[in-house]
Amino acid sequence: MEIFQGLLYGFQVVLQPLNLLYCFIGVFIGTLVGVLPGLGPAAAIALLLPSTFAASPVAGIIMLAGIYYGAMYGGSTTSILVNIPGEAASVVTCLDGHAMARQGRAGPALGISAFGSFIAGTLSVIVLTFLAPSLAKVALSFGPPEYFSLMILGLTILTYFARESMVKALMMAAVGLLCGSVGVDSISGRYRFTFGIQTLMDGLGLVPVIMGLFGISEVLLNLERGEEKQEIFATPTKGLFPTREDWRLSTVPILRGSVLGFFLGILPGAGAIIASFVSYAVEKRASKYPERFGTGAIEGVAGPEAANNAAAGGAFIPLLTLGIPANAVMAILLGALMIHGLQPGPLLVKQAPDVFWGIITSMYIGNAMLLVLNLPLIPMWAQLLRVPYAILFPLILLFCLIGSYSVGNNVGDGIVMWVFGVLGYLMKKFDYEGAPLILAMVIGPMMEEALRQSLILSAGSFTIFFSRPISAGFILAAALLLLLPLITRRREVAKAWTSVPQESE
Amino acid sequence: MSRDLTGALFWLAIAIFFSIEGFTHLKLGTLHQPGPGFFPFWAGVALGLLSLISLFNSLRKTDKLSLSGIKSSKLLLVTGALLAYLLLLEALGFLTVTFLFLFLLLRIEYRGWAFSAVLALVGAVSSYVLFQLWLKTQLPAGPFGF
Repeated sequence: MEIFQGLLYGFQVVLQPLNLLYCFIGVFIGTLVGVLPGLGPAAAIALLLPSTFAASPVAGIIMLAGIYYGAMYGGSTTSILVNIPGEAASVVTCLDGHAMARQGRAGPALGISAFGSFIAGTLSVIVLTFLAPSLAKVALSFGPPEYFSLMILGLTILTYFARESMVKALMMAAVGLLCGSVGVDSISGRYRFTFGIQTLMDGLGLVPVIMGLFGISEVLLNLERGEEKQEIFATPTKGLFPTREDWRLSTVPILRGSVLGFFLGILPGAGAIIASFVSYAVEKRASKYPERFGTGAIEGVAGPEAANNAAAGGAFIPLLTLGIPANAVMAILLGALMIHGLQPGPLLVKQAPDVFWGIITSMYIGNAMLLVLNLPLIPMWAQLLRVPYAILFPLILLFCLIGSYSVGNNVGDGIVMWVFGVLGYLMKKFDYEGAPLILAMVIGPMMEEALRQSLILSAGSFTIFFSRPISAGFILAAALLLLLPLITRRREVAKAWTSVPQESE
Repeated sequence: MSRDLTGALFWLAIAIFFSIEGFTHLKLGTLHQPGPGFFPFWAGVALGLLSLISLFNSLRKTDKLSLSGIKSSKLLLVTGALLAYLLLLEALGFLTVTFLFLFLLLRIEYRGWAFSAVLALVGAVSSYVLFQLWLKTQLPAGPFGF
């Protein structure tokens, strides 16, 4: 009953006109960001974070969350029409989505991704509604050792799914931990690695680092690649509705993608990108005609698109119940909650029920808005893709500059963004991934605190991580993931990954 | 030198720097009372060991990938413009610097002075309206008051 009261309360919060407006702005910007290649949800949320300072915490968070799941809808449009992923989680949609467009079936491809996204998004919010409050109760019993082990598992999962070598991904996680230790040490109060620079005293800002790694570096790479003449398919204004045959083929993949995506979304480190890849691999294996995949199989669009939306819902679970971000976007939302004076974690549901239930219920409404926004407006989004990159890229750079400056009204943060922009460009050139770095940088300080508190608790003995059953379970799972590649060598997901055109985070 | 080798050497240097810094300046503390240098030191050691593994992997591999061509002139110009924007922002004010920045970048890919100038002006003014007046971001004003 508690849950229904919560839901009712949440709807009361969300249905206030101002919150509805913020939700709409969020999903609208999210779709826009999703459609535009080279600007991902992480950079966009980082950019808009300062503009929510004036709003109430609920409204601000509702809007930022809307950008995240909105981008999952928008990304597929670009994948299908231009064969460039609008954002990273719709990379696989290019394979069969674009093939369908080439056969003149862009309409049903766009339609099934919008419906699939809606179904998966809604299903995952329903599960989120029922799961989050009870998980928060379980999480109350977590001590520092459990938190530490869980974060170790999260980093391991992320590196396990690395596109290149796992060693390189682990290296980036270590670099992230080092980046996270810049600034004041929370236990002793000492400055670390600040070299007397004012900007570094508060630590490396998450917003400038993300905008550098995922915004600036992406623009540099695009500029270097030069403008390839991309064919944009004539956009259908009718015929968006999939046929009965399409539905017959897609229903099971959508449901399977929803379940898969949700659970991969929960795991810290996995997330929407991986969920879409795994769903594609699963559908291909389950299909009676796997050879159709890559030539315009609608299941190859429906499954992954459902999976990435479900993952976006699942990703809220660790944030709302444990206070641990599952990916870069959740890391910024965590930062946003803290700026608004809220402490994400098991106590959030008690301390700020309006925010907790507000976020969850806003996702029901946001998903419905997205369905309405996406189907009729697809021609408009497609027009946007015709804006030449020569005009777009100075504006993206300008937004990044303004965003990094306005977090703290400080040019130093802009310099941090510049450094990480150049570093991010070189990392791409040398095949290092940015995602493990970001996640490790965010959870680094939490991990350190949990580790040091655990050691103080146990009087210096590491057995505390193995003697407590939940913690031991996490560590065991992490160890298995680390050892598995040594035995099996080539991983299925990595194989699927390398066979698709590469794009941004 | 292959890419993996260059990368591994770079991160190895970073790892050594952070470990030494953590060990000498920050102090490790003891296991039952870890100090501020404890976590960075071990993260640095982990990075160092992983870099060594990556280094050996790169030596063992036969196909030595080298860097694909970097079109340096355009990228140097763009990264230079970004840096100049940040360094001049507080001295010249948001509107002036933004106009110059957009104008320069539009000229790189687009021919035509007049077109670039008009577009840069529209971009600068509308971002000023959006961020300064509507979203109430505190953008620096220059000597002319904008």
